[in-house]
Amino acid sequence: MRYLLATLGLIVAAALGTGLLCYHFSCEPALHAAARKGDAMEWLQTDFHLDDRQFAAIRRLHDDYCGTCEEHCRRIQEATRLRKSLADAGAKPEAIAAASGQIEELRATCETALTVHLKQVAALMSPEDGRRYLSLVLPKVATFDHRAAPDLHLDHSPRNP
Amino acid sequence: MNTHSDPLSKALHCWTVKPPVDANFRNAVWQRIGRRSQESWSVYLRSHATTWVAVTVLMLGVAAFTGRSTAHARVRADRDALIATYLADLDPRVQAAQGH
Repeated sequence: MRYLLATLGLIVAAALGTGLLCYHFSCEPALHAAARKGDAMEWLQTDFHLDDRQFAAIRRLHDDYCGTCEEHCRRIQEATRLRKSLADAGAKPEAIAAASGQIEELRATCETALTVHLKQVAALMSPEDGRRYLSLVLPKVATFDHRAAPDLHLDHSPRNP
Repeated sequence: MNTHSDPLSKALHCWTVKPPVDANFRNAVWQRIGRRSQESWSVYLRSHATTWVAVTVLMLGVAAFTGRSTAHARVRADRDALIATYLADLDPRVQAAQGH
């Protein structure tokens, strides 16, 4: 009985050690550090093995694109406000539908622009990393499911008509 | 059937067993018990090797799988959160929805 318990104890300890080792070696410390800080650019640099030159070029592209993004954002908001004011004023359904169509058009334009930008970013990475990057981000752009970013505290209720 | 006249039955009635008395029997039993209690751990393991090897392989396998799966789930969750943050920064649709 003594040896049975001792042997079981030894095996349980070895299993715990093995589990912890496998956990440790399967983790990605750089990615977890970036996630803790919420720093997406640090994630890009570490997860896609960017050297300083690649990282600087991608950051420049990112900063440039942010201006385009703000302009798109402003236009979408304007179109949304216009549709709301039309609806509040009891405008004809055709006018409201036209405003909705305008919003959808702007959203499509913005999705296309974003996709082009992401492909430009991918082109600055190594081919393999670029492919992996696109396979991670493009589906989320297409399905627009990144709006539920955990750190953004967004209202998840649908805002589209 | 008359069993009293059966020679086999008579022989069995007369048969008595008189085993030789083993004066050392009690000592031998205690010696075996003593040997068992003084058995070393390695001897114990060797005598149950098959069972313990199977238990060890099973438990290490389960532990390795659990550790690896947990780490992969954490990597996936962190990566998803980072992608969401990254795209939220770039996607006007998100920013418009936020009312920026």
